[in-house]
Amino acid sequence: MTTVEVPRISRSRATSASLRLSFLMFMADPQWLIPSMIAPVVFGLVAFELFRGSGPYYLTYAILGAGMMSMWGQTLYGSGWAIGQDREFGTLEPTVQSPTPYVYVVLGRVLWNVISGLIGGGIVYLVVLAAAGSPPAVPDPVGFVVLFVFVMLTLASVGILFSAAWVYTRYSGFIQNVGEFAFYVGTGCMFPVVLLPFWTNPIALIFPPTWALDALRYLAIPGYVGFGWGFWPDIAGAVATTAIYVAIASTVFKRVELHVLSKGDLSDY
Amino acid sequence: MLASATPSVPRVSFWRTFWSNAVMAPRTTLGFMRIDFVLGTIFIIPLTQMVFFAFVVQVGGGGASEIAFTALGNAVATVTYSSVFSVCQTTDSEKQQGTMEHLLVTPANRFALYFGRGILPILISFATVTVGIFYAVTLFGVQVAPGSLPALAGAIALTAFAMVGFGLLLGGVALYLRTSIILANIFLFIGLLLSGVNFPTSQLPPVLQWIGYGFPLTWGLDAIRAAAAGDPLGTVALYYVAVLAAGAISFGAAIGLWEYFEHRAFATGSIARY
Repeated sequence: MTTVEVPRISRSRATSASLRLSFLMFMADPQWLIPSMIAPVVFGLVAFELFRGSGPYYLTYAILGAGMMSMWGQTLYGSGWAIGQDREFGTLEPTVQSPTPYVYVVLGRVLWNVISGLIGGGIVYLVVLAAAGSPPAVPDPVGFVVLFVFVMLTLASVGILFSAAWVYTRYSGFIQNVGEFAFYVGTGCMFPVVLLPFWTNPIALIFPPTWALDALRYLAIPGYVGFGWGFWPDIAGAVATTAIYVAIASTVFKRVELHVLSKGDLSDY
Repeated sequence: MLASATPSVPRVSFWRTFWSNAVMAPRTTLGFMRIDFVLGTIFIIPLTQMVFFAFVVQVGGGGASEIAFTALGNAVATVTYSSVFSVCQTTDSEKQQGTMEHLLVTPANRFALYFGRGILPILISFATVTVGIFYAVTLFGVQVAPGSLPALAGAIALTAFAMVGFGLLLGGVALYLRTSIILANIFLFIGLLLSGVNFPTSQLPPVLQWIGYGFPLTWGLDAIRAAAAGDPLGTVALYYVAVLAAGAISFGAAIGLWEYFEHRAFATGSIARY
């Protein structure tokens, strides 16, 4: 009797292959330039014009806001597209039932979204800098960069959760297009969430980037008035909500995999 | 002996082509515009976009008048989703559904065909701007002069017409591209910057002002602002003419692009390269 040797499954290899494929598809399909680069640059320039002369840190506000929108746009559109594309190509079920857990494939895509969002943020910085003629005032540049990366990681957790949710619905396109500005408003991309009516604040705090961005503004903009609890509780809230998002997404993906194995298809979604 | 009878080609009426395209487009080339998407475009996008930019203005130190200016601008700018975006994508639909070749060999009048397809987007655009202006008045303190409603309605209708023409023009350009979505998005966002949506165009460098006035949205926005402010009929009429001209030029250029594309397709025997 011969034993079939099952190849060892490397999760990191699956994630890196997924990341590489996402990069190649980004290069092959230039429409991704829109959410990650073109839109944020325009929003950055509009914000620059609207904020002009409203204080020493207006430039930081404009760059931070537009950079954040770059990452949000990439997360929102990228996560939905990843699942939609699997459906269109007919690769959703084979990928889900492959030995590698699907979440590691999605992780590679989300990581690419984070990277391209970061590139978009860099382009926004350069364009707004060229328009302003001088660099923004940032009191703690190193802390700013570290926290900026942390904001991206909170967004990545949103991307993973959204990807999990999109498996169960075909409305991702609708939510992305119609809800785009609602996400920008709700998470305070361009302005503090405390400016919104109080009843909206609990909804905004469901999203990890709301906490992380508030913390980043506390660090980068002296005199900033955000949530009353301040910088460190913002960080704690961001870490906690990010962990919850990752946990929920993992659970959902496991459920999806069980569903596929028991039913053999996902066509009812 | 074979008879040398010439087959009689039935005459296709202009209005029949126009009407059949107006009725069929929602099920064919505009099939992606589901009812939920249309309702979201009319009722949700204007509100969220206006709220977003109103708060941006507030953070920038703008007062009530600046917020009202931005709110009205964005109420009108949301017309881009239903006019430019949707119409532009009809080209992609034709290519994806494999109907482009059939379309090119039909004897139908091209203007009737494209204008007929534009009717639904024009109606949705009209509804989107109307709802947007309703939000602007009720939530953002935009003042509409008493008795200016007819002039305002005229300005909105003409803007919707001109923007759909512009969408067709971009759709014509998209014939030579693999996808139209980038083009539509670029003009969606450029409109926010160059068309006087969020701040007066006079704040822009002269070159950018000239470019901005190359877009129908800029003229439409000026017409709507003038009508809402209760400007004299003569002034509003001048803006009407400008918007109408922008729309006519867009429609004409779109048809020109399509005809050129048809000639290229007949000459090469293929449209597959695009």
